[in-house]
Amino acid sequence: MNFVDPHKDRWHALGGEDGPAACINPAPFLLLNVEQWHAFRAHWPEGMSVGVALANDAEVKDIAADLHRLSLVALKFPKWVDGRAYSQARTLRARYRFAGEVRATGEVLVDMLPLLKRTGFDAAVLRADQSLDEAYRALTFFPGHYQGDAADPLPLFAKPPGTADALARASTQKFADPGAAI
Amino acid sequence: MYQYSDFDKQFVRQRAAQFRDQLDRNLAGRLSDEEFRPLRLQNGWYVQRHAPMLRVAVPYGELSATQLRALAGIARKYDRGYGHFTTRQNLQFNWIPLARAADVMDALAAVDMHGIQTSGNCIRNITSDALAGIASDEVVDPRPYAELLRQWSTLHPEFAFLPRKFKIALTGASEDRAAIAWHDIGLQLLKNAAGEIGFKVLVGGGMGRTPMIGTTIREFLPWQQILVFIEAIVRVYNRYGRRDNAYKARIKILVKAEGQKFVDAVNAEFVDILENDLAGSAHILPQPEFDRVAKSFELPESVRALPVAPTAYFDAPKAYGRWLERNVHRHRLVGYRAVTLSLKRSGQAPGDTTADQMDAAAAIADRFSHGELRVTHEQNLLLPWVRESDLPELWKAARNASFATPNIGLLTDMIACPGGDFCALANARSIPIAEEITQRYTEIDELYDIGTIDLHISGCINSCGHHHSGHIGILGVDKDGKEWYQISLGGSDGSSVSGPSVAGKVIGPSFAADEVADVIETLIDTYRDRRTAGELFIDAVKRIGVEPFKVSANAVRRSTAPAHVD
Repeated sequence: MNFVDPHKDRWHALGGEDGPAACINPAPFLLLNVEQWHAFRAHWPEGMSVGVALANDAEVKDIAADLHRLSLVALKFPKWVDGRAYSQARTLRARYRFAGEVRATGEVLVDMLPLLKRTGFDAAVLRADQSLDEAYRALTFFPGHYQGDAADPLPLFAKPPGTADALARASTQKFADPGAAI
Repeated sequence: MYQYSDFDKQFVRQRAAQFRDQLDRNLAGRLSDEEFRPLRLQNGWYVQRHAPMLRVAVPYGELSATQLRALAGIARKYDRGYGHFTTRQNLQFNWIPLARAADVMDALAAVDMHGIQTSGNCIRNITSDALAGIASDEVVDPRPYAELLRQWSTLHPEFAFLPRKFKIALTGASEDRAAIAWHDIGLQLLKNAAGEIGFKVLVGGGMGRTPMIGTTIREFLPWQQILVFIEAIVRVYNRYGRRDNAYKARIKILVKAEGQKFVDAVNAEFVDILENDLAGSAHILPQPEFDRVAKSFELPESVRALPVAPTAYFDAPKAYGRWLERNVHRHRLVGYRAVTLSLKRSGQAPGDTTADQMDAAAAIADRFSHGELRVTHEQNLLLPWVRESDLPELWKAARNASFATPNIGLLTDMIACPGGDFCALANARSIPIAEEITQRYTEIDELYDIGTIDLHISGCINSCGHHHSGHIGILGVDKDGKEWYQISLGGSDGSSVSGPSVAGKVIGPSFAADEVADVIETLIDTYRDRRTAGELFIDAVKRIGVEPFKVSANAVRRSTAPAHVD
């Protein structure tokens, strides 16, 4: 998981929330909203990196045809308990095989990290008060999971025989060892 | 019972470790109460009127004697010596200080128990028929499927923050003892003409402010596809369910509003997952995985159908005969019976059990039922593996431990939530109402004469006491800071006695707390006056309608009577 420092982020949004800008000078690492992208996609230089920010009630399929041109899709959690973006991320990865960055924005808390990672996010802008140490720690607890997910598509039962036992053993040792870094 | 693998055990232990980490951060002030709330809820921790409440998951109601003893130990060590069994087959503690919450989760994990997803806006603990695997009318044993669904729904990363809670119930018998049509998803296992196993899938049932019965979305879904199909349903719900109003956020509202569009969206999503998603068909259940899980549900060792033998002579008192009639149930194996331990008796709230009673029930289960019990939807305990020849001895043991009240299915075997005495959500108390009614009907002859009847009491519209589905439903409401009770008649949970699932009809304005027991009494009296030979209460309500009952209920109004004019 890449934790994005907003002060050092190379991506920048176009100012203004008042709908499509009248004109955009294409530049690398612009993060556009869906309307802006749709307005300028025809003129966007091939190969110039561009990202799209998708609201959590928008349809992933509306940008599906252009995903190969996008380097970043930013998904938003307006409130951290609003789980719609998890489904969007998983759809981006599993259905449309999007290989660029999927970034969590909005109210992103450390306790969301296991869910973010498993639904296909690989970058997150943590809320300013969140601790990076706690974020890493939140990712350490479980030996594995029952369901397949975007990061690990096979459910436990579809993995090679012995996988569950091996995961359990590894986890037991990790947490039994007092010297283990957790 | 399902036997936890090393992975399952480690998973639950690590869930407890994760919770301890979150609790520590909360107690140290690094995680605010508001942000800790959804995290603790998904581990079963509510903050209630007096103390936090912990809801412990009893997946599809299956409980071992060892687990029950551990619950008794927790009740003694951390609580005030008792617990409460719920309509969703779980167990609740009411008095554990939050600071000790993580220790309790460790104690639970030691016996393969937890509070995972017993609250919060996620897929809740899955419920099933208390007679699963032993019912004489069973077509398919639902327990392996329930366990596969439990594993699939446990910490599903996409569905931890749905618009609202999400409840799944399943049954494999012809008689619906799990009220499946009242759930967000109801599953009925069946066999098609070719003998293949599949699910009838219902979606969009629920109680609460807008009671609705589930709609059939698939008549027959091959069992192998069930995880994928449910994933499609829940994803559509997660994407499109309302989040602007908690009262309109359940899937039933989406199903009702969208109708066929909802069905089409689910079917399209289902096809998309299978045809277009990376490893989309990996969640089709393979036979070996089913077999691995089903192995846990084979008959306990030494349990076999027994040759029919005359029962040994027993100078049985009348009470024993009644207990046989009400608390003992048919079994699929000749020579065996299922036996309900009644948790409905005067002086204790419905479903409440002391630590000593839990230990007693565990000892009875060890002696008579291969150390296995079930928690029933009606808030009783059930012993699944009792030899018919042991019934007299079991009766004596059950009676000594106050479990032998022969009232199963009768008026005092009522369902009730903890209500305003404990629950912060409740508008009114349930327990004093339940107690007053129980005290009025202590005569077992009278209860028998009244016959089979479902009395359900909820302290608020969240409907934990399932008032909508009661033949008589009592709902606590709040007006001007006082407790009032709405009475409804003719509801059904979908059992064959009750008829197709339907919400009861409210009989006029709310009653005052001190009028409720009189209302129940007059409703019962009206039934006894008007019934035909052998007619049950619910059938009488259907035949003569609610009006005669309403008239007699209005006649006992005192403080809620219209102003008297001379």
